[in-house]
Amino acid sequence: MKVDPSVCLNRRQLLGAAAIGASGLAANMAQVELLSQPAFAEQLQQADKSVILLWLAGGASQLETWDPKPGRPTGGPFAKIQTCIPGIEISELLPKMSSRLHETAIIRSLNTKIADHGQAYEVMDTGRIREPGVQFPHLGAIIAHQLASTHSDVPDYVEMYTSTEGRRKGAAGYLGARYNPMFLTESMMPENLKRLESIQDVDHQERADLQRILSQQFSMKLRNNVVDSHNTAFQRVRGLMSSDYLFDIERESQTMRDHYGPTQFGEQCLIARRLAEAGVPFVKVARAWWDSHGQNFETHQELCADLDFVMAALLDDLKQRGMLERTLVITLGEFGRTPQINGSLGRDHFASAWSCTLSGCGIRGGTVYGKTDEDGKTVVEGETNAGDLFATILAALGIDPKKEIMLGSRPIPLADFGSKPIQEILA
Amino acid sequence: MHLFSAVPMPLMDRMILRSSLKEMIMSDVLTRDMKNFKRTREVRSTDILFAIANYPDRKSVLLGSSDAGVYELDLTTEKPDRIKFSGGHRSYVTGIAVMESQAVSCGYDGQLVWWDLQTRQAMRTINAHGKWIRRIVSVPSRNAFVSVADDMRCRVWDAVSGERIADFTDHDAMTPHHFPSMLYAVAASPDGRWIATGDRVGHVAIWDTQTWAKKAELEAPVMYTWDPKARRHSIGGIRSLAFSPDSSQLAVGGTGKINNIDHLEGRSRLEVFDWQKGTRLHEFEDEKRKGLVEQIVWIPESTWILAVGGDNKGFLNFFDTATNAMLHQDGCEGHIHGVTWDANAASLLVAAHERVEVWAWEKTPFEN
Repeated sequence: MKVDPSVCLNRRQLLGAAAIGASGLAANMAQVELLSQPAFAEQLQQADKSVILLWLAGGASQLETWDPKPGRPTGGPFAKIQTCIPGIEISELLPKMSSRLHETAIIRSLNTKIADHGQAYEVMDTGRIREPGVQFPHLGAIIAHQLASTHSDVPDYVEMYTSTEGRRKGAAGYLGARYNPMFLTESMMPENLKRLESIQDVDHQERADLQRILSQQFSMKLRNNVVDSHNTAFQRVRGLMSSDYLFDIERESQTMRDHYGPTQFGEQCLIARRLAEAGVPFVKVARAWWDSHGQNFETHQELCADLDFVMAALLDDLKQRGMLERTLVITLGEFGRTPQINGSLGRDHFASAWSCTLSGCGIRGGTVYGKTDEDGKTVVEGETNAGDLFATILAALGIDPKKEIMLGSRPIPLADFGSKPIQEILA
Repeated sequence: MHLFSAVPMPLMDRMILRSSLKEMIMSDVLTRDMKNFKRTREVRSTDILFAIANYPDRKSVLLGSSDAGVYELDLTTEKPDRIKFSGGHRSYVTGIAVMESQAVSCGYDGQLVWWDLQTRQAMRTINAHGKWIRRIVSVPSRNAFVSVADDMRCRVWDAVSGERIADFTDHDAMTPHHFPSMLYAVAASPDGRWIATGDRVGHVAIWDTQTWAKKAELEAPVMYTWDPKARRHSIGGIRSLAFSPDSSQLAVGGTGKINNIDHLEGRSRLEVFDWQKGTRLHEFEDEKRKGLVEQIVWIPESTWILAVGGDNKGFLNFFDTATNAMLHQDGCEGHIHGVTWDANAASLLVAAHERVEVWAWEKTPFEN
């Protein structure tokens, strides 16, 4: 199926049509007929879905998280613990997650080959190797392009990366600037979103009304794409300005804030839930910095405690709100860490056999895909590359990974050529 | 004849004899040229060796390993074989303390194991702490062993019965930044009167072994690095403690402030306190060989301190508190986790990353 990047059904219209269909009123037969069309059915399947990506920047150790090897020379000092799923064991550093694997699939067989921070980040955030002359969109932009509504009042793609090490901003590439992220670095509240104090809200509203009237009059006489685009952008800015409350966790109860804990990562994940709840299709929360060349085990004691607490809180919260079945939570970084323990009790970069997780939307929870050898040095079953992971993420959201975007006359599939979703972990 | 071979006499008498002999020999160290202090032997392995102690009444050492084993290694043989003890730990063995003919090891499994050194069998295993045990020391005057762990507790164990005698802490479970803290270091004063404990954020407490009440506290905050901006996690902490021979001073080891906390690239750091007055007497930082000070050894009858540790590699730093200067420095390929003088106090035995090393004074022309 080929799609022009500019064509996308309005999410709100879509939900409206779905509601009509669901109620069986069939008042508008045209809309009901629309429901029977394959393209519309696919979009309906995608409706209201979101992704929250927990980006473990710097590269978390698979051996201290999802693929422990205790007792082996490479295993490190931590034990493994039985999870709520018989036969699946994870590191003792993730006790809360061990009782929440019903909603989570673990992929233990990533072989993404590139173990340099910058290049690996690009591979894992675009799902493919860089190609000269093509600016591939990052995962958030792809998801925003597929799931966002044209006239949405909320951002399509939000990234939070407050640490400075390894900070890299996602990009929409050939999808166009419309799908670039709102990138939060210094503060959890977007900058330049507030109305100037010198302008009253009523002034602002009246200016918007005047702009709309003039535009409508203009359009009645002379239809013009540039003017339409300007109107759309203006409305979108108004919408974004009115969405600043989503970033304000003071609006949450103290109980809810305690649920996510006092750390910055916890607060950012609470914001991520608020954004997903409001319909933001893609939120990336980067937790830096897992690059544990020295004192790997203590680094993971510190950071896994944060990840375990916050990820468990997020999954619980999404589930209690009935959001988990339409929200995909991913843990991923640019690579894993070496099985070999270096002289500083550290682990170095390693992309040949590492792990990630997918939870919630479209995922068959309580599953493990792939296997590494007894020392964690190689993948022995189910080797998975970045393209396969992207295909799996898209499929979990009801998006055809083979859907092609036309870049000029060149069709480019959403997930890389030849990649396949991992059916074993899809619901 | 083995200088420290056991002779039938009361425990305290034997301790005094052993101490005086050692001091006598150690004073001989001071007459030797540090330039002749060299690595004389290296025994490679594939594991990480965290702990080393003299094997009582034998010319061999006890080792604590990352493979969860406790080993005997006879360094007098040309091709030494390690003999593994039977039973014991389930994770890294991080400390071994010896008192008389018994040894107790500690590990990241939270267990203390009492060993029968004749049979090399585990005699007793105690679930001593809820988290990693970092270090164990013996307190012969109280006939006790003292352990510290990441549950932030310091616990005292009867050497014979294994019963817990005391349990105390002055260390917060969480860092000021809401992450788990760690209790790395413990030391007993030579006179057996005091215990010192040191944690991740640079807090030291000194305890009276007669009452187990806190006597004093010190702060060494430079040794803890919290990076709130670039990487948002922490590293460092107080990794070693040692009382001076007269028990009046306390040396505190760790690392200086670290810019890139992915690595142990901070200067090795040593602070010396008059702990009863609470005053810092000396600060030593070295950036030539960086990393953590894992163990501190005071040279008896002298003003010298040996600090060992490392980053990806190891260092041996000799400082002189009389001149506030480094006397001598050397290093090895592996991060050093622990050292002990051999029974004759003639050689320094080093437990390091994937190796044991022996360091000694090469004979000088004068000695020949």
